[in-house]
Amino acid sequence: MAGSIPIQIKTAKTTPAERRAVKGSKIVPVILTAIAILFFILMLIVPLISVFAKAFEQGANLYFASITDPIAWKAIKLTLITIAITVPINTVFGLTAAWAIAKFKFKGKNVLITFIDLPFSISPVVAGLIFVLLFSTSHGLLAPLLNAWGLKIIFAPPGIILATLFVTLPFVAREIIPLMEAQGTTEEEAALTLGASGWKTFWLVTLPNIKWALLYGIMLTAARSAGEFGAVSVVSGHIRGLTNTVPLHVEILYNEYKFSAAFAVASLLTLIALINLIVKNVAHWKIKQQSKI
Amino acid sequence: MSIEISNISKTFDSFKALNDINLHIQTGELVALLGPSGSGKTTLLRIIAGLETADQGSIIFDGEDNTGKSTQDRKVGFVFQHYALFKHMTVFENIAFGLRVRPSKLRPGKEAIKKKVHELLGLVKMEELANRYPAQLSGGQRQRIALARALAVEPKVLLLDEPFGALDAKVRKDLRRWLRKLHDEYPITSVFVTHDQEEALDVADRVVILNQGKIEQIGTPEEVYDNPANPFVYNFLGNVNLFHGRVHNGKVELGSFKSSPDNNDQGRDIVSYTRPHDIEIKLEPEGKEFIGSQITFIRAVGPVVKIELVRLDNGEYIEAEISKETYRKLELKEKQTVYVRPRDFKVFIPEDYVI
Repeated sequence: MAGSIPIQIKTAKTTPAERRAVKGSKIVPVILTAIAILFFILMLIVPLISVFAKAFEQGANLYFASITDPIAWKAIKLTLITIAITVPINTVFGLTAAWAIAKFKFKGKNVLITFIDLPFSISPVVAGLIFVLLFSTSHGLLAPLLNAWGLKIIFAPPGIILATLFVTLPFVAREIIPLMEAQGTTEEEAALTLGASGWKTFWLVTLPNIKWALLYGIMLTAARSAGEFGAVSVVSGHIRGLTNTVPLHVEILYNEYKFSAAFAVASLLTLIALINLIVKNVAHWKIKQQSKI
Repeated sequence: MSIEISNISKTFDSFKALNDINLHIQTGELVALLGPSGSGKTTLLRIIAGLETADQGSIIFDGEDNTGKSTQDRKVGFVFQHYALFKHMTVFENIAFGLRVRPSKLRPGKEAIKKKVHELLGLVKMEELANRYPAQLSGGQRQRIALARALAVEPKVLLLDEPFGALDAKVRKDLRRWLRKLHDEYPITSVFVTHDQEEALDVADRVVILNQGKIEQIGTPEEVYDNPANPFVYNFLGNVNLFHGRVHNGKVELGSFKSSPDNNDQGRDIVSYTRPHDIEIKLEPEGKEFIGSQITFIRAVGPVVKIELVRLDNGEYIEAEISKETYRKLELKEKQTVYVRPRDFKVFIPEDYVI
């Protein structure tokens, strides 16, 4: 944005040296833009197209067969269940944490912010291992309890959901904290002086002000829940039809040299990413519109 | 509704924002809380509204203790400095908000709400803007909508936090006059915070001057302007010239200027305060009390001519305001030496000041 501020020089007064300087400064943005676009094409567009190209390589029939295959379908179902549980929990947590951080002063606020960021800085594999160490029925810390109650968390869907919850924890909070902090509390205070209850203030004033950022945070959470590989891979146990999510299923297909099938299933994840991109753009545009006051 | 503020104190971390404030506001009064930034005036207003809780003391509305009540239950109208309009709602929805959020038993019908909102839009002269969003309004319009929104719930008390602070001078003056008129028509008990002494003296029935969390003086605009209780109030309410001096042989000595004092404190240091418009300028010394000074700057814009002078005896600055007529008669120029005399002044002796 700052880079687009034009340097205004009156043509009548420019000396040759100045003209050279202006010309010189026009080449730089062109080169930089070209490099950025080239990199973008090489690293993103080409791989993206190749995913779909490879997926449809052996015809549309095989593509749909790979997706509707019972094992693939079970993986998709498990992924959808994971999303359905992770997204609401992390949305509520994110809203609560962001509300507390942005609108109140309390001790330990910085500690809370650091903890929210923790899943970003920890490798997903380590995150998965943490859950194995806690919940494994053979050597986990809570093994005696789990065995006594007959609960199975690791190598079962609950483990996958827990690992996904951990990894996607920061997204909603991170998206809305800056916005809430920027907006301050005066609109909420105004609602209170007008007699609105705390609940009504939240629904009618706070939520509409953050809805686009919140939506984007939710989309990110959903996309990451669908695509998380590392942490889920550690706790899943790769039991086909039982504990395989979509990314794990893609890996299995790929390892079995079923490339077209692997890419067909992978294209589903890619679609989610593309939808995400569109939502992001709409959300950012809306936030910009809103802040034009 | 009358407001009784008794023994209110508030501390933020280690900063004492309010220190044992006592104030009684009568029903229908328009009171200004005037003070520099950090004087605690906004904090006091927020405590009255219940947006802030006092460390000690109580807020009593019409004999009923409101100290423990939540903001929602206090039925106060609050107008914020930066309007705090709901950005995602139209002007109509903003004004209707307070009525729409009432519990269903107390909520007026749709038609009644519509009628009320249009009545208020008429009051603030903005009927044609009902469907605009706050972003599409000017600052003055936003503040009028904020006021209409606060009035929609028919509050018993109207609290305004620097209501015109963010507006330009011309709009500010118009809104000021408008608020005064509104208050004359609907005499609702109102308290407004300002750091602008002109605004306070112009609009309020009574002015409360705050400094460092304490009340310095309470009185009508005339009282506080003509009889300031202490140097701070004198200083805060307008431009001022200081003359340092001593009480000597029963006379006040201010440099070469001598005058009969109202007290007999021998040999004490005193400071006398004079408003710029109370400085008299002559071309020749017409008495012993005239002080020789040199004119350093003249600004002759408008009906009042501002003149800055430097005393020849001790180099202190003096600010004077004279009428254009006098200015023309004297034919004053910069660098010219003239003789000045405070026509009227207040003497404050440090510690126990006497007027």
